[in-house]
Amino acid sequence: MAGGAIAGTEARRHHGVAGERVLRRVPRTRRERLEARAGWTLVSPAIVMVAVFILFPLGFCVYISLTNWPLIGPYHFIGFANYTALAHNSVFLQSIVFTLEYTAIVTVPILVFGYLLAVFVRSNRPGASIFRTCVFLPYIVGLTTLSFLAEVELQPGYGTVNVVLSKLHLASINTVWVQNANLALVAICVLVVWLASGFTMMLLLAGMQGIPEQLYESADVDGATWWEKERMVTIPLLRRSIALSLIISVVGSILAFNQFYIITDGGPGTSTVSLVMEIYETFNTAMHVGAASAMAVVLIIVVGLITFVQFRILRADDV
Amino acid sequence: MKRNKWGVLSVATAAAALMASTAAGASLAGASVLPARHARPAKAFGVNATGTVTFWARAATKAVPDALVKEFNATHPHLKIVLHLTQGNEATSELATAIRAGTAPDLVGLNDINVPAFAKEGALLNITKYVNALPYKSSLSPGHLKLATIGKQYYGVPYLADLSVLWYNPKLFKQAGISGPPKTFAAMLQDAKKITALGHGDYGLSFAGDCQGCLGFTMLPSIWASGQHLVNGPLGKQTANIAHNAPLKALLGDYHQIWAGKMAPHADLAQNGSTWGDDFAKGNIGMLPGDYGFVTTYLKSMPKSEFADAPLPGENGGPGSTFDGGDDFVIPAGASNPSGAWEVVQWFLAKSQQEQYPALGDTPVRGDILTPSFLAKYPYDAVALRTLKYGSVEYTLAYNELFNAPGSPWYKMFSEAVYDGNLSGALSSGQASFESTLASADS
Repeated sequence: MAGGAIAGTEARRHHGVAGERVLRRVPRTRRERLEARAGWTLVSPAIVMVAVFILFPLGFCVYISLTNWPLIGPYHFIGFANYTALAHNSVFLQSIVFTLEYTAIVTVPILVFGYLLAVFVRSNRPGASIFRTCVFLPYIVGLTTLSFLAEVELQPGYGTVNVVLSKLHLASINTVWVQNANLALVAICVLVVWLASGFTMMLLLAGMQGIPEQLYESADVDGATWWEKERMVTIPLLRRSIALSLIISVVGSILAFNQFYIITDGGPGTSTVSLVMEIYETFNTAMHVGAASAMAVVLIIVVGLITFVQFRILRADDV
Repeated sequence: MKRNKWGVLSVATAAAALMASTAAGASLAGASVLPARHARPAKAFGVNATGTVTFWARAATKAVPDALVKEFNATHPHLKIVLHLTQGNEATSELATAIRAGTAPDLVGLNDINVPAFAKEGALLNITKYVNALPYKSSLSPGHLKLATIGKQYYGVPYLADLSVLWYNPKLFKQAGISGPPKTFAAMLQDAKKITALGHGDYGLSFAGDCQGCLGFTMLPSIWASGQHLVNGPLGKQTANIAHNAPLKALLGDYHQIWAGKMAPHADLAQNGSTWGDDFAKGNIGMLPGDYGFVTTYLKSMPKSEFADAPLPGENGGPGSTFDGGDDFVIPAGASNPSGAWEVVQWFLAKSQQEQYPALGDTPVRGDILTPSFLAKYPYDAVALRTLKYGSVEYTLAYNELFNAPGSPWYKMFSEAVYDGNLSGALSSGQASFESTLASADS
């Protein structure tokens, strides 16, 4: 009897689901047809926007990447020649490695500092709101402005960074940060972590504020320590916020341009040329639009793959 | 030559500017038809034209168009200029996009090193017969004109000059017992030694050591003044002249001695052009190969006894040379009012307008402007203008890739030779990388 009821329920469920799908596709009544038409009318502006501003440019970019399109002058179809040439383009390959290296370096510190800052400011202790504002301020000022400031403050002889570090006997006042690939990378990573931690803090803080207070009270009753509460309550419930933060951080790092263009201009040599910077230079300096488009397509695929993998990993247990 | 980072950073801004300019062009097309009572029959190309001329000038050199366009519009009731400033390094991509879209402006003030790329592809109007008809053609800047030439045809004409000079500090020179600015490489090196020996934090010479464009702008003229170029041959068949280029070897060698001998400030290693020339204004730098445009800063901040300019010297003397930088006037092939554009060009090149350039921070492109009264009024610009006829450029489609790009062959060679002291290795690898870049551009 019970088995029959369950079977019947399953059957209804399957039938119902199937039925709903059919009903959605083919509106039968006049009202349903009107509703369907209204729905399409309401979403059509968004569809048009996506088609015009995302799908068409994307398709056109792929098309250009299959030609020898120069900045000016005639062009013709060359198949995958731009893509095969990338395999022999040492600067492009180096820029991919450098960009991934940079991404790997900054991602964890941004998340960890952002998390710790969020933990600090989520309480209502005095000064928390002022602190929160101060930490978020660099993000408001913006990476471009901060990069120009950093460029000046990293100057040997008079830059504030060297002045302070030399007073602390940690570096010479004549340290030339931008002429050493490792030092330049360190300086830029510190700048970016400082800027991006504030943004991550805000994302995680929003997630933390959605966690019911009763869960912490229950943990307190069970005698949980601060770390146990973070590990057993906060972090599991912040899973989606952490995933969002990581994806934004990783994608932002892969698309890095401003800080390298302003502070190091890709130097010394080509050691700090990021992937986007190499695309820009190929387009604007070398005027090879076709080759630059091929690089952009590769970038889109790389970002898509990394994001996809991140989603799969971070949402694997999130059922 | 120098890269404008501010202008580069926002592709969105450039796109918006492009759309705005396109929209402006569209609206101007309608505005170009004057009421019948104002219309006058055009007599000849570039004479008594009517309507509107859309003029795209670079924001980096906006002082001249900002001032002169107003004057033109105030004095020409039948022909109006509508000025649009292109931002930073987006000028070429903005123009190329407009040409492809069929919305090209009537007249463009294009960075002269980019003119060959547009001219070679037939994107510009052939104005040979009109240039040849100019009575002052022989006194036009030869470097600017060369970059506007394909074969024996002209696709542009000089517009304004942004020239490189050797700034020097007469006060320090006098203290060091030096009678005047150097005219040879050897003298430059000796002068640098003597000034550095003064002590008190004085340095013989300063250079923008992390700015590939600045280094090309100030070092190449010394090689040209010695009778050599780094790139030879016509477009499509160009060769690199690096490994056996004696003046280049000598100049890089001297710069290395200056660097290794601490005759230049250590901060030069990180000077990317953003504060280029500021150290000279403090009065403790003996020589600065730099931009004539620094004059506006120096006139405001330095006693006149502490700055003067001279031509960049050649290896063994001679009149020196300068980088014929700045802009050429070009008329896109699809311009809707080319006659009006040419009338505007002729007006800008007239003496009365050319004489206003120095006060606006640029140098005229006509050597015959250099009169005794001009010399008395603009002594610093007179030095640059006198050198104009000896000025030159590297005529190639790959200038940006060879010299201006991050990690360019030029900068790699400079860095290896000057900072690392590996002169022969730098020249050898420089020859190979110049050749491969030229081959890529020619293909």
